[in-house]
Amino acid sequence: MEKERNPKNIFVQGAISPEAVAKSIANHASKTDIGGHSIFLGQVRADEKPEGKVIAIDYTAYEEMALEKAFEIREAIFAKYPLTCMHIYHSLGAVKVGELCLVVFTSSKHRKAAMDACDELVERIKAELPVWGKEILDSDNHVWKVNV
Amino acid sequence: MPNTIHIKAFGMVAERIGATDLELAHCLDSEALLETLRAKFPELTTTKFSLAINKKLISGNQEIPENAEIALLPPFSGG
Repeated sequence: MEKERNPKNIFVQGAISPEAVAKSIANHASKTDIGGHSIFLGQVRADEKPEGKVIAIDYTAYEEMALEKAFEIREAIFAKYPLTCMHIYHSLGAVKVGELCLVVFTSSKHRKAAMDACDELVERIKAELPVWGKEILDSDNHVWKVNV
Repeated sequence: MPNTIHIKAFGMVAERIGATDLELAHCLDSEALLETLRAKFPELTTTKFSLAINKKLISGNQEIPENAEIALLPPFSGG
């Protein structure tokens, strides 16, 4: 049976809760053809900047374009790797240090496809989605996050 | 409004020009638009950003369709 795939919302207001990740893992228990999951969790780091210490990141996005792009990436990764499923969640708005801002979750029959697809997805999401992180500092200043 | 370009600004670009939405008279192509923008907002000459026309990133000079939605996108920093 060919699955119909449509653009999905990947954005979540604020931090992504560890409970939501746990629930997402549990939701796969019924998919018994899966043999391995790969999960990347992005967490906001308390970076030390010359202007102050990061206490949160405030995310904004060009949402319509980001969702179109995420769909395009999703289709390309599904075409490249034999995946059973794929989930992407990205925060919008403020996420405090220590909280989760990105979840990339891939599943496949065997581990290699899930791991490689997850890795490639994270790289492409960071490079290609029109999303911006404003790093809020403890000095009441802010700096714009730069992806390396 | 006919012959108008709708412009959305994001991140550092929005901060520098002090606006997230702008409307400008139609420009023929992206080079002409960039020139207009830099004249209106000199701070953009020192800001790195890309242009998207109707949600597609462009490279090089491109024609701007009527009533296009343009976005000024600083380097992405999601994740």
